[in-house]
Amino acid sequence: MKWSQFFNTSIGKKLLVGATGFFLCAFVIVHLAGNISLLKDDGGEAFNTYAAFMGHNGFIQFLAWGLKVIILLHAIIAIVLTVQNQRARPVKYAVKPGNKTSSWYSRQMAVMGSILFIFLVIHLSQFWWAMHYGDIGTVSYGAVTEVGNLYEVVYAGFAQLWIVVLYVLGMIALSFHLIHGFKSACQTFGLNHKKYNGILNFIGIYLFGILIPVGFAVIPVVIYLKQI
Amino acid sequence: MLNAKIPAGPLETKWSKYKSTVKLVNPANKRKLEVIVIGTGLAGASAAASLAELGYKVKAFCFQDSPRRAHSIAAQGGINAAKNYQNDGDSVFRLFYDTVKGGDYRSREGNVYRLAEVSASIIDQCVAQGVPFAREYGGLLSNRSFGGTQVQRTFYAAGQTGQQLLLGAYSALQRQVALGNVKMYNRHEMLDIVTVDGKARGIIARDLVSGKLERHFGHAVLLCSGGYGNVFFLSTNAMGSNVTAAWKAHKRGAYFGNPCFTQIHPTCIPVSGDHQSKLTLMSESLRNDGRIWVPKKKDDNRKATDIPEEERDYYLERRYPAFGNLVPRDVASRAAKERCDEGYGVGASKMAVYLDFAEAILRYGKIEAGKKGDDNAGKEEIIKLGKSVVAEKYGNLFDMYAKITGENPYETPMRIYPAVHYTMGGLWVDYELMTTVPGLYALGEANFSDHGANRLGASALMQGLADGYFVIPYTIGNYLADELQTKPIPLDHPAFVETEKAVQDQLDKLMSIKGQHSVDHFHKALGKIMWDKCGMARNEKGLTEAIGEIQALRAEFWQNVRIPGSQHEFNPELEKAGRVADFLELGELMCKDALQRKESCGGHFREESQTEEGEAKRNDDNFSFVAAWEYKGPGSSELHKEALTFDIVHPTQRSYK
Amino acid sequence: MKLTLKVWRQQNSQEKGRFETYQVSDVSKDMSFLEVFDVLNERLINEGKDPIAFDHDCREGICGMCSMYINGRAHGPWDETTTCQLHMRAYNDGDTIVVEPWRAAAFPVIKDLTVDRTAFDRIIQAGGYISVNTGNAVDANAIPIDKHDADAAFAAAACIGCGACVAACKNSSAMLFTSAKVSQLALLPQGHPERKQRALNMVAQMDKEGFGSCTNTGACEAECPKGISLTNIARLNREVLVAGLSSE
Repeated sequence: MKWSQFFNTSIGKKLLVGATGFFLCAFVIVHLAGNISLLKDDGGEAFNTYAAFMGHNGFIQFLAWGLKVIILLHAIIAIVLTVQNQRARPVKYAVKPGNKTSSWYSRQMAVMGSILFIFLVIHLSQFWWAMHYGDIGTVSYGAVTEVGNLYEVVYAGFAQLWIVVLYVLGMIALSFHLIHGFKSACQTFGLNHKKYNGILNFIGIYLFGILIPVGFAVIPVVIYLKQI
Repeated sequence: MLNAKIPAGPLETKWSKYKSTVKLVNPANKRKLEVIVIGTGLAGASAAASLAELGYKVKAFCFQDSPRRAHSIAAQGGINAAKNYQNDGDSVFRLFYDTVKGGDYRSREGNVYRLAEVSASIIDQCVAQGVPFAREYGGLLSNRSFGGTQVQRTFYAAGQTGQQLLLGAYSALQRQVALGNVKMYNRHEMLDIVTVDGKARGIIARDLVSGKLERHFGHAVLLCSGGYGNVFFLSTNAMGSNVTAAWKAHKRGAYFGNPCFTQIHPTCIPVSGDHQSKLTLMSESLRNDGRIWVPKKKDDNRKATDIPEEERDYYLERRYPAFGNLVPRDVASRAAKERCDEGYGVGASKMAVYLDFAEAILRYGKIEAGKKGDDNAGKEEIIKLGKSVVAEKYGNLFDMYAKITGENPYETPMRIYPAVHYTMGGLWVDYELMTTVPGLYALGEANFSDHGANRLGASALMQGLADGYFVIPYTIGNYLADELQTKPIPLDHPAFVETEKAVQDQLDKLMSIKGQHSVDHFHKALGKIMWDKCGMARNEKGLTEAIGEIQALRAEFWQNVRIPGSQHEFNPELEKAGRVADFLELGELMCKDALQRKESCGGHFREESQTEEGEAKRNDDNFSFVAAWEYKGPGSSELHKEALTFDIVHPTQRSYK
Repeated sequence: MKLTLKVWRQQNSQEKGRFETYQVSDVSKDMSFLEVFDVLNERLINEGKDPIAFDHDCREGICGMCSMYINGRAHGPWDETTTCQLHMRAYNDGDTIVVEPWRAAAFPVIKDLTVDRTAFDRIIQAGGYISVNTGNAVDANAIPIDKHDADAAFAAAACIGCGACVAACKNSSAMLFTSAKVSQLALLPQGHPERKQRALNMVAQMDKEGFGSCTNTGACEAECPKGISLTNIARLNREVLVAGLSSE
């Protein structure tokens, strides 16, 4: 079977969604690890230094563009699958089972994914666009000179309540998307084994479902609270 | 006189000699020969697949939505084979002997020996197909004893052996469909056989979705359409199981063998009311651990658990101390009927007996406690342990019982009653499985051949697959080798036109009656007559009455049946009507056959022929023959006899005392 | 008890369907769900109306023919139970029960509650077998099989092909059905020579039939009357992954 044929099968497409999903899972861990420095009371030195490094390292830049491609790929294939899945049942049931046979969030991956996508557009235009193409002030720390003061932009952004609320809502969507998404990707790659399901479930729920989204959500909330 | 064409020579070499001398068809010619297979159960699916593998062009038909639905799928217990994997003294001869004896000496030695001979190959074939039989920890196949045999020769897949074997045959069939060697016709029902110059040359089938009639040509036609237990309305058969294919063949010249030989299975869930549509079997294996009893007092309405031990009548253990609860199916069924008829029955209908696991639970519980070294375990602990052992062995059956009855069989005894299960009778066939119509074959339960007057447990699956995988691929060549010159007969041949017209006329007639009663109304009435007068016990008076009643019912059916809708659409009521019309004719023949057989043998119990203790009494001097009935017009049949000779196994009176 | 049945009626695959409401009385708790339909049909016939067409055959939960979507549940409210084994003890006097056919593009309605499931046959035709002609087999005990594998193969092979997995899945996916057969044959040494082609071909056919894809919600497993496990879907995914990466 040729690659093109293989990735055109339903399972082939799902493997792509799963693989890109795993990559994005890895990304959110790294992203959170970096962003935590926003909470450091150092006037933004750690965060701005980190941001400058990320913005100028060639390899990171390559990854960053790759990340955007992967997000798009993840979304586009998922949309294609969703459309196909919709077509597989042209006449809908009059009575639906509700949550008796499956969890609501496992059925709402497309909805959660769409919310996340909108969130991402806002998030990127707010910070990534500002950092690269916007007009932001610079700051110097010892050896590190003239780096963009993204820290300031972030603090200014999270001073507004509606943006903080938006971020918290985005992270709730991320939580449910990942609780099902991580486990689902494991299943798609055939990782379903009595001995390992416990640890996979633990990672899916506690790491991706709770720790990461809560970690992300804490940042805007704390920054907001610090400024009132 | 009927010629069964049993090959000459010693029993052990008949089949091998036949195989090495039978005519062959060369591969290039096989492609030109077309074979029609009716039914896709174990016999039909295995035959269609095997013949297609050989190169014949096969057309297979089933009335269900998929060939995988055939009722072979419901067989629970297992399949016998003379493998002797358990080193317990089994052999081809012993399986042969048990089958002839179990059939109460009314089957052919030659056929049964061949069945036992090919049994081992069936297991090999099924394992190679991926049938997941039960295995031991060492990775080898597991066996159990079944139906009171003294050796462990039954292979099984939990309680779903029939399902697994059928899915194996179905897979083989689907492979041939994919390869283009089999053309599959789902939701098609055969409604008549087309004969040309006395030979079977095709069928008329109805597409059940569109209602259209179709003509299909075949150099040979194989009927693998199962048994006719649904003549009783209530049976363990599927709702759609019917006699139509076999009966139409009978009306076109195929003799019907031993129609009265019906197997009544002793352990079924009893009827719960008038709404009852079918009966559910509880596997025979339950009798290995369950004890059957009724109260000693008539009309005892106490709860089973409230009746003390000394007021219980374990009637099988009392009457048959040697075999106890493990007597053969026919004996156990009659004994239950006798108790209920005498007024000792239990449950709301009083037509049931208890199958009690309380003692087995205690026994297993004690063993488990002993294994744990806990010799002082309390009764509650013992019962708990025992229940878990019973659950492991019979859990799925207990669950099924609980779903259907709403009672918990771990706490209160099961109620069971006999029900129609299998028909040993069927189209008469010779050694080659050919009916009296050249080119028309009958396989599996549809033929009469191997089980005599009573079938042993786990032998139906064996016979269906033996016929399909290992017998017909050889014997059909012997006929088709002479048919190479026969060109496919055009479908506008007068024989096709006339037969289709006859089918069309019957459909028109049925649709035009527009009477007062539904098809089920007539089916239930027929079932009641058959069960009351041609069921577990039969006598001359009852059978004579039954014949008159069936004739009257048949006349009323043809004047007063109501079929809704039209014949040019999907119309399940019309399908049922055609089947019941045939049952109404078959029922009469069954009664006639039961009437002429003035002896008791196997499943056929004539009250006039019993010992002083009420046991069945065979009459070998006068009835050691196969009754093969020839159709002679509506309500008229002529009896032909095929004498049975026993060179190896000498008939004795069965005794289980 | 008295019940209200709202049943999907559809003359054939072309015409549009609608719900019709029927009142049935004298329903006994001992009746099976299909026996209620028998009684209702008997009444409809006597009233000169068209009875409700529904698929059924063995009525002991093994043939896989019965297929009703009852109050939002494939085969009704009881776990691991086919429609024919569902008994009226599950309901109370006065209940309203909505009965629909399996709904999927790959299962077109034939009439009323009867649908066409031949797509399943075609998936099996694409590779759900071991290519062994009759007579080719070695002795049945020649190849010992790990009991756990044999048991797992049996558990997968217990699938009755009823289509409840498709009916229950929000995507009408046939992954549980397809994976059950692929699993059974992948677990047995006899199935190994063809395993790569089998997995790829059966999945290709499944897609071609118009079934949706799996989003791992688990509804199929929850509704399967034979308790076929999601581990089979994982195994199918592994089989396809390995086959897709390695086959030419």
